[in-house]
Amino acid sequence: MQQHPLVAILTRLGMFVLVMIALSIMIFVLARVVPGDPARMALGPAATQEQVEALRQQMGLDRPLPVQYLDYANKALHGDLGMSLVSQRPVTTDLAQTVPATVELVLVSVIFMFAVAIPLGVITAHYRNRSFDYIGRFLSLTGVTIPSFLFAITMQLVAARYLTDWPIIGRLDHGLAWQGGPTGFLLIDGTLAGRFDVVLNALKHLALPAFALSMAGIGQITRITRSSMLENQRKDHVLTLKSFGVPERIIIFRYLLKLSSIAPLTIMGLEFASLIGNAFVIEMIFAWGGFASYGLTSILQKDLNAVTAVVLVAGLFFIIANLIVDVVISIIDPRLRRKEAR
Amino acid sequence: MAEPLLNVDNLNVSFVTYGRSRQVLRDVSFSVAAGERVALIGETGSGKSVTAKAIIGTLPKNANISAGTISFAGRDVLSMPRAEREALKGTAFSLIMQDPLSSFNPVFKIGTHLDDVMRFADKRNGISTSKAERRTRIAAVLRRVQLADGERVMNAYPSELSGGMRQRVLIGLALLHQPKLLIADEPGTALDVTTQDEILNLINQLVKEENVALLMITHNLGVVRKVADRVVVMHHGDIIETGPCAEILSNPSEDYTKALLEAVPPLYGPRVIDLPRSERAPIVTVKGLNKIYGKRPGYHAIRDVDLTLREGEIFGLAGESGSGKTSVARIIMELSQPTSGTIDIDAPAPGRGRRLTQIVYQNPGTSLNPKRTVKQTLSLPLTSIGMDADAREARMRELLDLVRLPQSYLAKYPHELSGGQKQRVAIARALAAEPRILILDEPTAALDVSVQKTVIELLMQLRQDLGLTYLMISHDLSLMRNFCSRIAVMLRGEIVEEGVTPEVFSDPKHPYTRALIAAIPVVTDVEERLKPIVTEEERMRFLVKTTA
Repeated sequence: MQQHPLVAILTRLGMFVLVMIALSIMIFVLARVVPGDPARMALGPAATQEQVEALRQQMGLDRPLPVQYLDYANKALHGDLGMSLVSQRPVTTDLAQTVPATVELVLVSVIFMFAVAIPLGVITAHYRNRSFDYIGRFLSLTGVTIPSFLFAITMQLVAARYLTDWPIIGRLDHGLAWQGGPTGFLLIDGTLAGRFDVVLNALKHLALPAFALSMAGIGQITRITRSSMLENQRKDHVLTLKSFGVPERIIIFRYLLKLSSIAPLTIMGLEFASLIGNAFVIEMIFAWGGFASYGLTSILQKDLNAVTAVVLVAGLFFIIANLIVDVVISIIDPRLRRKEAR
Repeated sequence: MAEPLLNVDNLNVSFVTYGRSRQVLRDVSFSVAAGERVALIGETGSGKSVTAKAIIGTLPKNANISAGTISFAGRDVLSMPRAEREALKGTAFSLIMQDPLSSFNPVFKIGTHLDDVMRFADKRNGISTSKAERRTRIAAVLRRVQLADGERVMNAYPSELSGGMRQRVLIGLALLHQPKLLIADEPGTALDVTTQDEILNLINQLVKEENVALLMITHNLGVVRKVADRVVVMHHGDIIETGPCAEILSNPSEDYTKALLEAVPPLYGPRVIDLPRSERAPIVTVKGLNKIYGKRPGYHAIRDVDLTLREGEIFGLAGESGSGKTSVARIIMELSQPTSGTIDIDAPAPGRGRRLTQIVYQNPGTSLNPKRTVKQTLSLPLTSIGMDADAREARMRELLDLVRLPQSYLAKYPHELSGGQKQRVAIARALAAEPRILILDEPTAALDVSVQKTVIELLMQLRQDLGLTYLMISHDLSLMRNFCSRIAVMLRGEIVEEGVTPEVFSDPKHPYTRALIAAIPVVTDVEERLKPIVTEEERMRFLVKTTA
């Protein structure tokens, strides 16, 4: 039985919506049952009990949870995520300012991750059990085991001592006259405006945090690529091509690489969760001003609306990333396409 | 006599593993003349595939050719510079691979494989060609292997073609550059008998039309009779006998060859064993069984199947892949639920953790957990029926005696055992909790004929000693002829013929049964003549299409 591809996609999107609803309920309830009164936190210890009560009423915290949630969901669907208690601005405004910074950092890390890990995996597999392989495997194991904040701090220290001109915090030098652009991505806005000094400066700022963030993933993906290449190397189809004299470089870089990229891509989708988690730490260390540092502050301040929004956005990132991975894998593997269509 | 096309002289090959050297070929010498069909036969580990790899030049890195020469058309292949040797691949000789599914990279289209092979062979021959030009040439080759719709085949992914079609493409791949010698490594063994038969006919026809020589590597003596003029018999890395095909098959001089021939179950003639029918009460009664996988409309795997197994008999369920025979077995095992129909097992209910039915799978290499010793494997069913350590120990010793394995094997891991020994362990495991009915799902398909013979003998003995009832699932009709007392033939989920084995084979009613029997490769000409006749129209109606 063949199912229309559109039906498959719609089913996927339906699931996606369900996950978002479940996530929003969970974080909404969770944020409200943990101890600590948000109104008290916002007003500070000096405020009177009456003032706190008044704020609670104003925030609607005295109503039953389901009512609060429905109200929140209704407003959220209309693009209103509420006010942030800390910044005293709409949460959406805060997010619009901070999300692009994080997305830019994460995307650059992902690109970096693939650019380093896949070739490293292929090469270590090719030189299996020789010195290059041992070095590569040692490095990738190091990447997996050492926490990313340690990398981040070490690199900062090294750069501060030996590369005194290299920026170690922030997204851009303060001296640069830059008003911001339509997307919030410095690399894109800078290119659009023809300000290549901004692009270059942003890239310099990105280098260290992106490297620190991608380290764990590089280790993981190198190892997966290597073992996947080794496993597929033993398959009959490699022997077929060899016995007809197809050159080894074609067999490795064309036939084996495509087949062996499925496993690392699948891992990538999962790796994304830890990437976002690590971004919270990395952004703090590099004073990145992204949405992860915004999230961290709001959690500590029990800024309810901000916390909920941050979790939802992180969930959205994760789901979109996995959706993309799924689509890419089904483009690579025809067997999956047929299975899904069934 | 003219110079032979291929001459292998005193070839010695050894493998080095973990610093230890093991010789796999000892002074192997044989030749293939132009246009001649030679079969290289032997069982697992005889060195026949290593010989083929040595000729083509795809030996693994740890292999070492210590002595001997391989010459092709008078030129020494082994002393050639690398580039020159590469240039021979596909153009002087080419290989037809064994397993049509695993021989293609699943994420590339069939056409990509063909095009790359052609492109690089052209390059080595100093020809530059355009992609469109190559496509036309590939389509022409595909037509020769009866795949007329070349465009469709080239645009398909490997998983989108049937096994027979893939095997045809593999043959086409070998023919792309008019080689002088085709080396076929057990072509069709992974396919159904009827498809295998078609593939062998095709290879024969191509060999004749293109006037190429054929080196057929096989363990199936029936195949040998069909496609070889001359036979080379290998055993443990030695060539033990060479001669014209008819002579070797009818009058072998070596004991090993004789034993090999005797192990092949006969289809007709005095060696056929007729099993007595069981007149005892039915033990399994299946009525109106239907199984539909999936929903709306789903795949109708079993249609209105009725079956009766009498106590103590060996009932054979024959059919090709996808016919639904394994689905029936799974339902009898209660491993899956029927969509409709009933299964009655007329036997007293067994105790806790015990089952009336147990199964022996096809491939003992995969049905045994490689990380568990024989003892661990066997103790699991015994623990589940509540035996304590001492009782388990005693029962395990008893089980190993039953399957004729020494007690010391309890401590071994599967990789330390041969295929036949692994299957014996699998049988012991199935018998552990004393079932009444044993389902044998192609129990010997993964084994050599000589090993198959001993496993079948063991199963016969066990049935007698323990009073078991067998349900045997297989596509190997010559084996079933000698092993089953009654047989049913399944086609597309339905039973099309059922009866007492000798009657079904002497007078098959359904054209599909006739086609199945006719496709079995047999060892003697006498048997070949006794096979039922199938018309082309019947073949078209009942057999899976392998052309396009």
